[in-house]
Amino acid sequence: MRKRVLAGILSLAMMVSLAGCGGTESKEASSTDAAAEKSYTIGISQFAEHGSLDNCREGFLEGLKEAGIEKGKNLTVEVKNADADMGTASQIAQNFVSDEEVDLICAIATPSAQSAYSAAEETKIPVVYTAVTNPIAAELATDDKKPVGNVTGTSDVLPVEAQLKMIREILPDAKTIGILYTTSEANSVYTIEEYEKLAGDYGFTIEKKGINTTADISIATEDLLGKVDCMTNLTDNTVVSSLPTILDMANEKKIPVFGSEIEQVKIGCLAAEGIDYINLGKQTGQMAAKILKGEANAADMEFEAIEENSLYVNEKVAENLGITVPDTMKDRAVESFTEISESE
Amino acid sequence: MDLLFTILEQGLIYGLLALGIYITYKILDFPDLTVDGSFPLGAAVTAILIKNGMNPYLTLPISFLAGGVAGICTGLIHVKFKVRDLLSGVIVMTGLYTINMLVAGTNNLPIFSCENIFKNKWLEKLFGGEIPSYSKLLIIFIIVLIAKLLLDFFLNTQSGYLLRAVGDNDLLVTSLAKDKGNVKIIGLAIANGLVSLSGCVFCQEQKVFEISSGTGALVLGLASVIIGISLLKGVPFIKATTAVLIGSILYKACVAIAIRNFEPVFMKLITAVLFLIILIISMDRKKKVKNNA
Repeated sequence: MRKRVLAGILSLAMMVSLAGCGGTESKEASSTDAAAEKSYTIGISQFAEHGSLDNCREGFLEGLKEAGIEKGKNLTVEVKNADADMGTASQIAQNFVSDEEVDLICAIATPSAQSAYSAAEETKIPVVYTAVTNPIAAELATDDKKPVGNVTGTSDVLPVEAQLKMIREILPDAKTIGILYTTSEANSVYTIEEYEKLAGDYGFTIEKKGINTTADISIATEDLLGKVDCMTNLTDNTVVSSLPTILDMANEKKIPVFGSEIEQVKIGCLAAEGIDYINLGKQTGQMAAKILKGEANAADMEFEAIEENSLYVNEKVAENLGITVPDTMKDRAVESFTEISESE
Repeated sequence: MDLLFTILEQGLIYGLLALGIYITYKILDFPDLTVDGSFPLGAAVTAILIKNGMNPYLTLPISFLAGGVAGICTGLIHVKFKVRDLLSGVIVMTGLYTINMLVAGTNNLPIFSCENIFKNKWLEKLFGGEIPSYSKLLIIFIIVLIAKLLLDFFLNTQSGYLLRAVGDNDLLVTSLAKDKGNVKIIGLAIANGLVSLSGCVFCQEQKVFEISSGTGALVLGLASVIIGISLLKGVPFIKATTAVLIGSILYKACVAIAIRNFEPVFMKLITAVLFLIILIISMDRKKKVKNNA
């Protein structure tokens, strides 16, 4: 009996101490509230810690700032990261909805967007998502891009066609492109379908290899490298976090690896026709600002995608592989790297 | 107030999972890892059936059956092929990943546009148009209550007594001329059925099936069982099954508070510490380990 009482006291103490931390936090928030005339609170639910998603978040806050809603001045931001766990994502969203009284939820990546919408559906809180590759397949928008509810945002669909064209320009003789992807990531599965649809137009065939966990990377890469002329990356979370391993193995065989965004080219992919996640976040932030100010209603806003894509080239990688990048491409590139930086 | 509703809803949904784990961990003394796969199995079955227009209430018994089959697989592997308990669960859990993917046809299947047990024409008619917000909690409560009462009833039948005997003293079962293997299989089937049912309700509440939703289900359920049992053991008029459900709600309350105040990265560590403290204090496990040593 004594033990049980002790257990009760301990867990109670734990809860009280947890609640205690909450008290200080809300005090800070209210002091910033008082400083500005009209202030907003937003909750950001980010699915995982990841270069591109972090860029989205930063861009989002920048976009808001450009519209006059600045963190610390008239904006209180609550950032929560689900650590790639669906259960946590839903708890975060429900927490935002149930008592934080946020004016808007910003959800980064598909599972977070779905759980945020699901939690906020019966409330008046608008949800703005970003880095959702296919909002239609995620049932956040209907076939004509219209929102299904009080939810809108931006898609990070990859410029697949531009990427294929770019690979053809750099490697005129290549026939097979290899792609590694994680079977549990919805975005990757969708993008691969796009690749398979369009590859034929540029004379490529796609060799895809699905993995389940990081532990499968080495074997899958080894297997894939034996069958392909080059590889290209998606924005697949698991694959991107193991990119250094993949690049190492590919470099040994002198097989070029193309990326899908700037960070990947920085750490050693040959080139990428990608989107700039900071810009994507900015665009999302501007949409959110309109909603917060009451200029637009999330339920009426079509989801947006970045129109233009940017080319990134790593000349050092090209030199290592003995590949010449056409000068026209070098001129067109938004950014060229002359060295390979260590990944973070 | 809203937060309280959310905690109760989540706590009760995961309470079904905890009831399943209570059967395997406490009654059968069988560390069953199948649950990490049977939870999303329930969700996958539910999502695909609802997507194809099935009545959402029918998905409840169907996902229970689907989970039951998964439990039977684990049981057969353990009993018939003499594979160790932990490993049998791991084998089935691993296989279920692919099965879940095949059942749902994809790794992420949203059902926002479909009817579910919380929102459908029938309920709208019942409440006369607008469905009140408390109805969600009410529906979850009813489902959990029915599951709990049926489980209580089963545990008091002859098969239920045998089930408890297998965990406590399996020689007794053999001396009664009953096959303890079959009893174990039945227990695992019911346990995983409940876990899968929990996945079914979770999926309809989230309105999306996501392949990763089962990760950590076992730890979560175990924490609920241990919190509930060790805090409420011996309290009059509270059955173990009730204690487990209360434990699940308490656990979710802790998680909700942790989410508000900490980065989710720390949550697993907080859970682990909380878990360890309660385990040490409850002493229950310790005695068992000593007896077996």
